[in-house]
Amino acid sequence: MSEDVEKTAAGGGADGGARLVSRRSVMTLAAGAVGVLAMPAIIRSARAAEVLYVNTWGGSWEKAASKHLFEPFTKETGVEIRTVSPVSFAKLAAQVRSGVYEFDVTTLGGGDIVRANAAKIIEPVAGGPLASALWKDAVFENGVSSHAFSTLIAYRKDRLTNGGPQNWADFWNRKDFPGARSLQRYGARVLPLALMADGAPKEKLYPLDTDRAFRTLDRIKPDLRVWWTQGQQSQQLLRDGEVDMIGIWHGRALELIDQGHPIGITWNQAQIDRAYWVVSKNTPRREIAWKFIQSAVQPERLAGFCREALYGPLNPKAFDFIPKEEANRMPTGPENYPLAVEQNVEDFGDNLQKVTQRFEQWIAT
Amino acid sequence: MLSVLNRGTAAPGALKPWLLLLPLVLFLCAFFLVPLGQVALMSVTEPEFGLGNYAHLTSDGLYLQVFLNTFLTALGVALCCLLLGYPLAYLMAQSSPRVAALLMLLVTMSFWTSFLVRTYAWMVLLGNNGPVTAFLAFLGWDPPPHLLFTRLSSTLAMVHILIPYMVMSLYSVMKRIDPALLRAAESLGARPWSVFRQVYLPLSAPGMVNGATLVFMICLGFYVTPVLLGSPQEQMVAGLIGTQIEEFLDFGQASAMAMVLLASTLIVLTVYHRRFGLDRLWG
Repeated sequence: MSEDVEKTAAGGGADGGARLVSRRSVMTLAAGAVGVLAMPAIIRSARAAEVLYVNTWGGSWEKAASKHLFEPFTKETGVEIRTVSPVSFAKLAAQVRSGVYEFDVTTLGGGDIVRANAAKIIEPVAGGPLASALWKDAVFENGVSSHAFSTLIAYRKDRLTNGGPQNWADFWNRKDFPGARSLQRYGARVLPLALMADGAPKEKLYPLDTDRAFRTLDRIKPDLRVWWTQGQQSQQLLRDGEVDMIGIWHGRALELIDQGHPIGITWNQAQIDRAYWVVSKNTPRREIAWKFIQSAVQPERLAGFCREALYGPLNPKAFDFIPKEEANRMPTGPENYPLAVEQNVEDFGDNLQKVTQRFEQWIAT
Repeated sequence: MLSVLNRGTAAPGALKPWLLLLPLVLFLCAFFLVPLGQVALMSVTEPEFGLGNYAHLTSDGLYLQVFLNTFLTALGVALCCLLLGYPLAYLMAQSSPRVAALLMLLVTMSFWTSFLVRTYAWMVLLGNNGPVTAFLAFLGWDPPPHLLFTRLSSTLAMVHILIPYMVMSLYSVMKRIDPALLRAAESLGARPWSVFRQVYLPLSAPGMVNGATLVFMICLGFYVTPVLLGSPQEQMVAGLIGTQIEEFLDFGQASAMAMVLLASTLIVLTVYHRRFGLDRLWG
């Protein structure tokens, strides 16, 4: 509650400050030296008053975003960016319901953005100021595509000495690749992997055949010793050797490899997840929010962010600012992208909620 | 009536204890009772008015199973705490005050360590490359058993976290047992085992009940430990409530589950109160 009051006050201050500056500017012309001396202080106070609240994933994500997206934006516009973490879909929904805004801007994944758009908890892009400035297909379900990560197969090279699983069918092959496995506790991502393991071609995964996916999952259930829910946890499981192979986010796997752990990965059948910038519905700061988003997907800034946070940019122009060997560590890089599998969140098949419920039930029994 | 009024005006100081309670009462109202009321309201209004959420709880096998699992786990943890805590509390009650204080320090030490750190410590200890697995392998257990992500690992961690409550409940009761009663039993010819079974054990029973009730109720709401250490097949209610909100945005269903969990705790408390009196719960 108090936070809301504070933010409203800050918003009011922003308007007041801007008016003050323009009136003062006129006076400055007339009054000369006195006004010139007073200007810096006035501009500072006007700048400090304008604030945008961005929901971030924290940690290295936030560090990279601060350096490449937030700070340049603040320098350019004077709008201060304050961060709130972690990213929570539930909070996005709750704040629209309550009218108390903890953040104005957040990133959503493919499944979530369809849900969010259907639930009308994000602002429509149409009518916003940025539609013309973007590349083709940049806007999806009222979100602006920014960057991507992939879920790929990583394995312990010291345990799987036969080269390790090179596709999801191998991952499901308990005979040739024995050992404990882990996948993310996230049905919408896991079911397509199961279908690929069962031999479904990647362009025919959607709409999902859920029954077939669950039948396939049954085959490796005994080896799925743990379902990870957080990136950190997935890294720990593989690093400490709790599992021998894992479906893991590519950035997490690359970090382990860079640290010198005996980890192998394959980009083959890597499952791409796109992240979209969205604006929280009805937030009083939506105009600044759209301005920020437009600046955040500029090729050079996006490239900087992706290089540091180990993502793949979705603005194709960003690759102009990325060295080739780094592009090959990105899921959307020219060598990796043809091997990857995109998710089709629009034509998912069964109702997402029903699938998730069934998935939870399947795990629990 | 008049005398009551008189007493009220004659002794204004009598009001003061209630005034001292006021800040806490206000705090609890604002940050506990009001939100709790909102949760209760949500459970019967989201997505529509009625008892639909509660009906769904009873009709879906998953919920019943998770509730059953939660109660069984809490019961198991309470029993383990009792079995492990009783000898320790007994030792403390029999020791010199200095030794007792030292033991108490050791028991409560885990209170001062963060919850997550303790949980992660168990992951390190019980992991595939951990000392326990290495020791079992050394003893010739080949291949060594998987200890992590099983009922064993989550139960172990919860017992570790909750055992101080049990030991303190038992100790406070055992400390008050009059040694003269034990000596009397001995002087009447009872063997040590009979003294313990027929005199000491019944006298320490209130501590057992207190400790078990506390541990059971706290354990019902455990979230992090079973999620991080337990087997995926053995979910507890708090974890499922989290999933309901984060994955399904189903605030109504989650609220209904929270209400059922709260009601179960209150039922246990009521039974305890009827039988023993609530004021004795903390020893």
